Amino acid sequence: MSKEMKANNTNKRLHNVHLLKPGEYYLQGSQACIEGAIMAGCRVYGGYPITPASEIMEYASRRLPQVGGRFIQMEDEIASASLLIGASWGGAKALTATSSPGFSLMQEAISIAIMSETPMVIIDVQRPGPGQGYITASQEDVMQARWGHHGEGSIIALAPSSVQEMFDMTIEAFNLSEQWRTPVLVMAEEPVAHMRERLLIPPWNEIEIIDRKKPQDLGIMPENYLPWGHDIVAPMANWGEGYSVNFVGLVHLEDGNITKYGPQMHYDCIERLFRKIEGNVNEIARIETKFLEGCKNLVICYGCVARTAIEAVIEARKEGGLDVGYLRLITLWPFPQERLRDIVGNVNTIFVPEMNLGMMKHPITEALRDRFKKIVSIPSLGVLHSPEYILSKIYEEIR
Amino acid sequence: MKKHPMLKYLKEEGPLGQRMPLILCPGCGSGQILNYTLHAVDRIMNKDKIRKENFLFISGVGCSARLTSHYLNFDSAWTIHGRTLAIATGSLLANPAFKIIVFTGDGDTGSIGGNHFIHACRRNIDVTILCINNGVYGMTGGQVAPTTSVGTITTTTPYGNIEEAFDLCKLAETAGASYVARWTTAHPHQVIKSIMKGLRKKGTAFIEILSQCPVHNKLSPVTMLKKLKESTIQISKEKESSEGETLIGEFCDLDKPEWNESYQKLIDQFDHEEGKS
Repeated sequence: MSKEMKANNTNKRLHNVHLLKPGEYYLQGSQACIEGAIMAGCRVYGGYPITPASEIMEYASRRLPQVGGRFIQMEDEIASASLLIGASWGGAKALTATSSPGFSLMQEAISIAIMSETPMVIIDVQRPGPGQGYITASQEDVMQARWGHHGEGSIIALAPSSVQEMFDMTIEAFNLSEQWRTPVLVMAEEPVAHMRERLLIPPWNEIEIIDRKKPQDLGIMPENYLPWGHDIVAPMANWGEGYSVNFVGLVHLEDGNITKYGPQMHYDCIERLFRKIEGNVNEIARIETKFLEGCKNLVICYGCVARTAIEAVIEARKEGGLDVGYLRLITLWPFPQERLRDIVGNVNTIFVPEMNLGMMKHPITEALRDRFKKIVSIPSLGVLHSPEYILSKIYEEIR
Repeated sequence: MKKHPMLKYLKEEGPLGQRMPLILCPGCGSGQILNYTLHAVDRIMNKDKIRKENFLFISGVGCSARLTSHYLNFDSAWTIHGRTLAIATGSLLANPAFKIIVFTGDGDTGSIGGNHFIHACRRNIDVTILCINNGVYGMTGGQVAPTTSVGTITTTTPYGNIEEAFDLCKLAETAGASYVARWTTAHPHQVIKSIMKGLRKKGTAFIEILSQCPVHNKLSPVTMLKKLKESTIQISKEKESSEGETLIGEFCDLDKPEWNESYQKLIDQFDHEEGKS
């Protein structure tokens, strides 16, 4: 890399003096998200305002220049997501945040980011749909997260449920995107983005930060470099480093060559994209459980619904004397099917409270198909379930 | 046989084999434009002592986009239809030192990417946009383009085009680009000079190059080049263009604040050194 390029590299100019110091804070989820991104090394933010995600970009516009980063308000969400591709290959860690209608517009860029194996992070503060829907709480994009982009390949999507997790999981999202060279989605909801609660910043040296693997570090010379080869996750040379990388969105060989097209080459190119994520599901996906050992009934939830679901489970056990276990999907995609089968035994009823009409109920049903007698969806649209509501649905079934 | 001097900037082979020949149809103007561009880049590299790795080529989808696909021996990106300027903006935010050349077609600039185009010009981001305008959607089979002239028969205007053609240079100038010029593939020296000017200009340089598509126009490349010359008139001749004549030349050459220069001032307000705050 030439001196001029090095001196101007946004990512290399980390100005720690303006990072959030270790300690206790009282912040909004949206602010915690940006603090997490900055801590992870994000120095480029491009976005387009949309309720209820605008607070994230407003805070980013204030914080990015302070740490030597760059913020830009783009002309739309299509441009915002496309911008991440250029920024990422330009050598920066880059972020955008949006809400559901904007997320729809970003699918085009997500698709080519999967194909080109571009690390980037998108926060979706979900709102109800279809159409303009409403501007309140929703988990209606969980399927769009997995299946919204055209074509095969897989995706990583996380579901935070607190302000602390908006910080932690934004860092985790950047780490996963750099480690697996893939776009990572943080599927937040309006309550998590807007609530204010305690945020604990640990000592900086305790925060794990993962950066992309570089061909330079592995001794791979430009003439032998395969931008989509060498390993299941290829080392990534950024533009400007002398590796003459030809970014490509078409089916390609490991060196980016497109002239050798054939069925086998096509299969190998795309199947690896799928296997890279789905084949490493146990390394990527995380699950949280409580009262799971030998439980007769089970509540499976994710995101901010987990906050009221755990209340309902505790109440059902204490007041109702019912044997109800609790399982939270911290990672939505890749879906940890085998892991779920390993830890969930035979139960009578599974309850799935979701802020949609029963979306994640489907992969849960597929995974645990022979482990339950009944699976009950507890839907809510536009508003977070109260613990009482979840409890009443549990009592309706098993009391 | 002596090799073409610009071949040194192309990848005839990659680690996994042959990458040539170019996909473009015989007589297509895009190859000429690639040649002119590489000449300009070669001169800038030698005269201004700018290193090869500083250059970045970005394109969208379509005939024009194939110039970056996998033949260029530079960092390059063959990306999404119309989104080239958003992607270029991202690269410049990551590193303002990039010398970015964007290859677009009339669809990328005037249609699917129209919004990104006007906002790139408005922000005056530091890119050189080369718009290869062949007046037709070539790659997808000869459909009407926003730059197709009235009356033209295409595969989606079988009874003749009823819509007015877009003047992309006027659009770029109005939207705020620093440098705007229009030439044709029959003006190699002017094109090379304009590209060099664009690369040296801090801000958005928009250079439209009228190009020939012999396949969809069902004419010989020579006839088409002649027609391009005859149907255009230079602005400097101070003559109003008459019916059917297109103005060529430089439309504007201004010095205005570039996005990253302005943003850098904003960053510099903050003290970034450890120990001071």
